[in-house]
Amino acid sequence: MWFLRRLGISVVLVWVAASVVFLAIHLVPGDPAELLLSQGGSAPDRAMVEELRDQLGLNRPLYVQYGQQMWRLLHFDLGRSMQDDSPVSEEILRRLPRTLELILAAGLMAVVIGIPGGTAAAMRRGSVFDRATSWLASLALAIPVFVVGTLIVMVFAQWLRWVPAGGFIAFAKDPVQHLILLAMPASAIGLGLSAVMFRMTRAAVLDVMLKDYVRTARAKGVKPGRILTRHVVRTALMPVITVLALYLGTLLGGTVLVEFVFNWPGLSGSLVSAVNARDYPQVVGIVLVISVLFVGLNLTVDIIYGLLDPRVRK
Amino acid sequence: MTRLPWPALAATALIAVLAILAPWLGLPNPVTMDVPHRLAGPSAAHWLGQDEFGRDVLTRLIWGARVSLSVAVSAAALACLIGTALGITGGYLRGIAEILTLRSIDVLLCFPPLLLALLVVTLLGPGATTLIPVLALVYLPGFTRVAYAGVLTARSQDYVEAMRVLGAGSGRIMLRTILPNIGGPVLVQFSLAMAAAVVLESGLSFLGLGVVPPAPSWGLMIGAARATMAQAPLLLLWPCLALTLTVLVMNALCDGLRDAVDPHPTYRPAARRLLDAIAPGLLPTPKAVLDLAHLTVEIDTPAGPIHPVRDVSLQVFPGETLAIVGESGSGKSVTSLAITGLLPGAAHVTEGAAFLDGTDLLRLPEESLRKLRGDKIAMVFQDPGSSLNPVHRIGAQIAEAIRAHRPLSDKAARAEAIALLRRVGLPDPDSRARAYPHELSGGQRQRVMIAIAIANHPSLLIADEPTTALDVTIQAQILELLSDLKRERGLALLFITHALPVVAEIADRVAVMYAGEIVETGPTAEVFLAPHHPYTAALLRSAPDEEGPPPVGIPGIVPPPTALPPGCTFAPRCPRAIPECTAAPPALRSAGAGRLTRCIRWNA
Ligand code: SF4
Repeated sequence: MWFLRRLGISVVLVWVAASVVFLAIHLVPGDPAELLLSQGGSAPDRAMVEELRDQLGLNRPLYVQYGQQMWRLLHFDLGRSMQDDSPVSEEILRRLPRTLELILAAGLMAVVIGIPGGTAAAMRRGSVFDRATSWLASLALAIPVFVVGTLIVMVFAQWLRWVPAGGFIAFAKDPVQHLILLAMPASAIGLGLSAVMFRMTRAAVLDVMLKDYVRTARAKGVKPGRILTRHVVRTALMPVITVLALYLGTLLGGTVLVEFVFNWPGLSGSLVSAVNARDYPQVVGIVLVISVLFVGLNLTVDIIYGLLDPRVRK
Repeated sequence: MTRLPWPALAATALIAVLAILAPWLGLPNPVTMDVPHRLAGPSAAHWLGQDEFGRDVLTRLIWGARVSLSVAVSAAALACLIGTALGITGGYLRGIAEILTLRSIDVLLCFPPLLLALLVVTLLGPGATTLIPVLALVYLPGFTRVAYAGVLTARSQDYVEAMRVLGAGSGRIMLRTILPNIGGPVLVQFSLAMAAAVVLESGLSFLGLGVVPPAPSWGLMIGAARATMAQAPLLLLWPCLALTLTVLVMNALCDGLRDAVDPHPTYRPAARRLLDAIAPGLLPTPKAVLDLAHLTVEIDTPAGPIHPVRDVSLQVFPGETLAIVGESGSGKSVTSLAITGLLPGAAHVTEGAAFLDGTDLLRLPEESLRKLRGDKIAMVFQDPGSSLNPVHRIGAQIAEAIRAHRPLSDKAARAEAIALLRRVGLPDPDSRARAYPHELSGGQRQRVMIAIAIANHPSLLIADEPTTALDVTIQAQILELLSDLKRERGLALLFITHALPVVAEIADRVAVMYAGEIVETGPTAEVFLAPHHPYTAALLRSAPDEEGPPPVGIPGIVPPPTALPPGCTFAPRCPRAIPECTAAPPALRSAGAGRLTRCIRWNA
């Protein structure tokens, strides 16, 4: 039941989000037809603009356009791009996996570094290791992601010449090169994310270690290693997973900076050009896909919570 | 409020002052070009060199701070104002207003923040002036949530209700009572928003969607320097450094403010360890299962060390129940935790010995102590609700205790766990073993805790307020179960409680604790009949009783361990006190066979 209710709320949220985007983009000045036809720099012919507007359905009243758009969305049809008449879904399907790949690689890095690191720091609370790693985490959190990216390019591509400065090569074509090109933007994002994971894990482990049931486990004479894995980490990871998921969600739109620095042809980068061209279906499509993923991610977190903690399911 | 984060505050202030004073620092004009000297390195006139148009880099850095901070402050202020107002309105008026404000904020939260900013910027066009509302929009939800939560808390407090009853208008209530209450969290949120806005502003400017050239901005500078990073790498480094340092300082400020607003005790590792040598003459009493001698516990607090337990000695014999009774804060729980080595981080034993069958527990290495815990010495805690791990089935939690000490197969341990559940009287143990703690009642959970405790046939069972969280009928059942187990297995029971009726029911002997010391010990019946310490007497008079006069409360309070009175610690509340009582702390003295009291006037 709790699951269905959460799902319902999510669907409503996504619908409202789509409507808001639709309205916002129509209320702001800028005519897609005019923009399309004025590409040469010369003022477009009025008659041609009118014809194109008709063709694109832009002369119909706003509520009709809105209704049509929503109707199409209900049938999982994102419409066609106004720029080249290709289906919006095609472009999204091509670019989305690249952005997701980037995010997942960064998330993996954060999990591998942050969670063991945070646990170790919590176990040695107050030690030199704890203080040093906490300080490093603060530093990593303070460096904006595009600064990290730019510095990576400067050091590894410019000075050391180990790697190209960026770009994208399909995995099928050249797996090694693909992974190298992926590793750079992924570690630019992963650095800050690792620091977030580190801090969260450390705080959560410290928190759980004070719980009564951990004291019970100690009173039972359970070995410290087992207390850590069975009683501390499992509970401590719940808030950590939440934060990770939320951060990964934020990254869905947030990879744009790194995609820009490393020339990574992902989804968020294409959003900027779509908005600039006032390509309504394209913008709504991209935003909708991202917010569906974003909201879906939050929903998944809730479900994972329910699985990990039997009390939530009630 | 605790200490403010002064270093971070000072550093932030320094950056802010530089930014504010930028026009009056006698710096070259940040936009004056000097193309012949483009990309020139550091010189006397240009300390950090010149950029791709020959502009002075240092000037542009400082002016960049000005732009960055003014955008960040304005955006945070705008978000703070609108967000807080929305949160307060929603929280205070409830109903439709609540739904409108909070749900509209939820819609904003449907978009990842950078995506939201990107969308709005591309729609409105770049520029510092669009940045402010854009960033404000992004950080709005944070303020609304904080304010809303604060109002809900404040609403439930009595004085807000009182003001309402007194007829104060909604507006005045909001301003006078709620605003000061949410000030702290909102301030923290403000610093967070500011730090994040600096990052977001630079990111958008870097993409060419924020501050418009030629105005100086760190993000723009980094973006521009990328093109020339082969010739002039320093050009790239300076703004990166400036941006990172600023964010570092502001993050430190956020953390500091958060700690100041929501203080949590800072942990310091124990400074001293218990003396390794045992004082001469400290030998275990023969035949006692537990012989605790001169236990003193110290806790490090910011105000200096305190001693919640001082010089506590007691013995428990096989098959005997000793009750430690006292009000909360008397040190009875700390005593039991010290015996088992489960004291929290800041507390440690400074003196004494605790012999369990002749072995001093206080000087055992942790690994040896661990092997005893749950095996020869077991504990039952007060709150069975929080003492069981909510995410594991109870059968598994009992089996874990068994397997921690005996090399049994998983299956055998589970079978034993079910047998134990049957022994402690849990109905339908086979299926209940698969239940989670939240599916059991409080009494059933305590039975599970007892099953865990007796799993390895301990010789000493320490029960710390095991019935306090339960209702009266369940209490009686649990007490009966404990007595049965004691008889059946011949174990020694150390029972810690604040309730005298419970003591009367279960204990053979009683030790009364007050303010960290034992003030009286003796056989339960005798002590109850004729207490030798005024505190015990007062405690007996204050206990609820079915017949007889209604209970009389003890006037005054237990002195906190930070402010112990000189001499007898009970003197300020004692009806029999005389001047001599405050001269020196009275020693425990013998007061008849098997009885001790810490009162100089016990037979007066
Ligand atoms: S020593 Fe004095 S003050 Fe203390 S309990 Fe006895 S009579 Fe009261």
